[in-house]
Amino acid sequence: MSVVFTYLIPILSSTIYMATPLIFAAVGGAFSVRGGVMALGLESMLMSGAFCGVVGSYYSNSAFVGLICAILGGMLIALFHGILCIRYRVNQVISGVGLNLLATAVTTLLMQVIWGNKGTSEMVASIDTQLGGPIPIVNVQSVNFIVMILMVAVGWVVLFKTCYGLRLRMVGENPKAANAKGLRVHGLKYSGVLICGALAGYGGAFLSLDQLNMFVRGMTAGRGYIAVAIAILGRYNPVYIVPCALLFGFCDAVQIYLQGQGIPPQLIQMLPYVATLFVLAFGVRHIKPPEGVGKHETD
Amino acid sequence: MKIKEKLTVGRAGLDSLFRSAVALLLSLLVSAVIMAACGYNPIQAYGAIFTGSFGSLRGITQTLTQATPLIFTGLAFTFAKKASLINLGVEGQMYMGALGAVLIALPAMGLPGPVHLMLAILGGMAFGGAYAAIIGFLKVKFGSNEVVAGFMLNSIATYIVGYLLNGPLLAEGSNIAQTARVAESAWMPRIFSKYQVTYAVFLAVAACIFVAWFMKKTVTGYEIRCVGMNKDASETAGIRVGRSLVIAMCVSGAIAGLAGVNQVLGVDRRLINEFSPGYGFNGIAVSALAAENPVGTILAGVIFGVLRAGVMELNRTTNIPIEFVDVIQAMVVVFVSAPLLIRNLGGHLSRLKPARGAKGGAVQ
Repeated sequence: MSVVFTYLIPILSSTIYMATPLIFAAVGGAFSVRGGVMALGLESMLMSGAFCGVVGSYYSNSAFVGLICAILGGMLIALFHGILCIRYRVNQVISGVGLNLLATAVTTLLMQVIWGNKGTSEMVASIDTQLGGPIPIVNVQSVNFIVMILMVAVGWVVLFKTCYGLRLRMVGENPKAANAKGLRVHGLKYSGVLICGALAGYGGAFLSLDQLNMFVRGMTAGRGYIAVAIAILGRYNPVYIVPCALLFGFCDAVQIYLQGQGIPPQLIQMLPYVATLFVLAFGVRHIKPPEGVGKHETD
Repeated sequence: MKIKEKLTVGRAGLDSLFRSAVALLLSLLVSAVIMAACGYNPIQAYGAIFTGSFGSLRGITQTLTQATPLIFTGLAFTFAKKASLINLGVEGQMYMGALGAVLIALPAMGLPGPVHLMLAILGGMAFGGAYAAIIGFLKVKFGSNEVVAGFMLNSIATYIVGYLLNGPLLAEGSNIAQTARVAESAWMPRIFSKYQVTYAVFLAVAACIFVAWFMKKTVTGYEIRCVGMNKDASETAGIRVGRSLVIAMCVSGAIAGLAGVNQVLGVDRRLINEFSPGYGFNGIAVSALAAENPVGTILAGVIFGVLRAGVMELNRTTNIPIEFVDVIQAMVVVFVSAPLLIRNLGGHLSRLKPARGAKGGAVQ
């Protein structure tokens, strides 16, 4: 019994905690890809969300305002990505990678302008709540745990049980046919990308305002790319994404737990990345993205 | 995920040169606006960047020092891109190349200088190439997304190097994570003894010309280009697609490794943890600005070398952040990849002119 209390429960609660931003980003990625736009810009949306969240909270002293700013920050990058990919037909991979580079550079630059420090921001008001209650593991999670569960449920319903979701998926599968049927292909694609930005922005805010109370340079640490892998592994379905993200959250939790146990820290920190690599190698072989990803209605 | 690549075949070289020039100017312009918004005088800043990078022998050597790794990483990205592969793992391959070089260069083997140097260079290339081959292998064998795999391998490489530099390879008595000095017989010779620029800059230029020749004149190069343009057609034509993809990735990694080799054997003469300010990612911008032309990579590398050296110089006197260069580079990537955007802007401009003329006519 004592083993459960000293090891298992802390690791499992940490698993959920680490998986939450990944779930937000990966479900966002699912919306984007289902609408036919690759989600390689997730890293930049996470980073923009994390940064804008801290900036909003810094100037308003309110974590809630920060959260709104984070969502808007994620959507701003998503809008850029959308305009480039949908209107100007840029290669979606290049656009995503370019925006990731841009977000890293701009946030580091603005940190020096706002706080005069390129490493970390000042501390700001954060979302500092615990659910409490009798259930172990869940009781140490923040309010965002409930938001996350609602988001996954709503996301699944919207994608698979509503008219809008059906249309979005049709655009993703075959933009030409969707166009012939009279759907507003561009509008639907933009909506998918913007939802992606909003969710990833929220996930970014979770990193900077919930897990921490500041922005740290490069704090997303490749989580956007990991979320891309999770979205693929979860077959672009919000419900399947959750267990996949928990798997990565578990790696992260174990990594944090193992630190300071006499094993060189660098070798432990590698764990989530190695896990992603293994998933890419063995987990996603037969998963095909929607047919129309990267295609335009006039191709 | 499948990567759909818009073919750039048949687009005139002049057109892409124009596109790159406009993209660079646009990026510099937008950065000037950001600079002004942040409270710096952009004209003064660009002037200082220019004099900082060209005004003195020191500036010029600093420019070339910065340009050398940029040319290598840009060329590495270009090579993979010819096979329609996005090699985001250049940064990691560069670290692995540096590691390979330092492992051979550290022990004083008693070999004559040039032999030891050659071995170290080859070691670096082999490490970089082998590390990149993992991405190619995953892509071909398992259909993995090479962008995600590349990024993961970057993180893994920095952690491996970080571990080695804090443990087995740590120099005795050193406070920071770095190796001891490499054996003198493996030093990459410097052009001026006082400055860090090495003869590797000529190696970089030679590599660019070699790649251009390789792509145009060899069967393997031809096959790589075919695979990059149309995988299915290449398969039908009897080209071994998987083999071409792995070779492209491998060579790309070997070139990326050279960037690390030069850093270890020439610039720092030891392997320092996190020596790179992101040369691997900057290579994407270099390749984009060069419109994926191997020889153009030389010019693009020098242009970004000028910017980086100039801003570093500027950073000493004013407190302007070095990250401006990264902002400019990221914007170049975005703008160059959006020819329609630039054409649209051009369209708006050309529409403005006749409109004025028409007005004038009406007045008369």
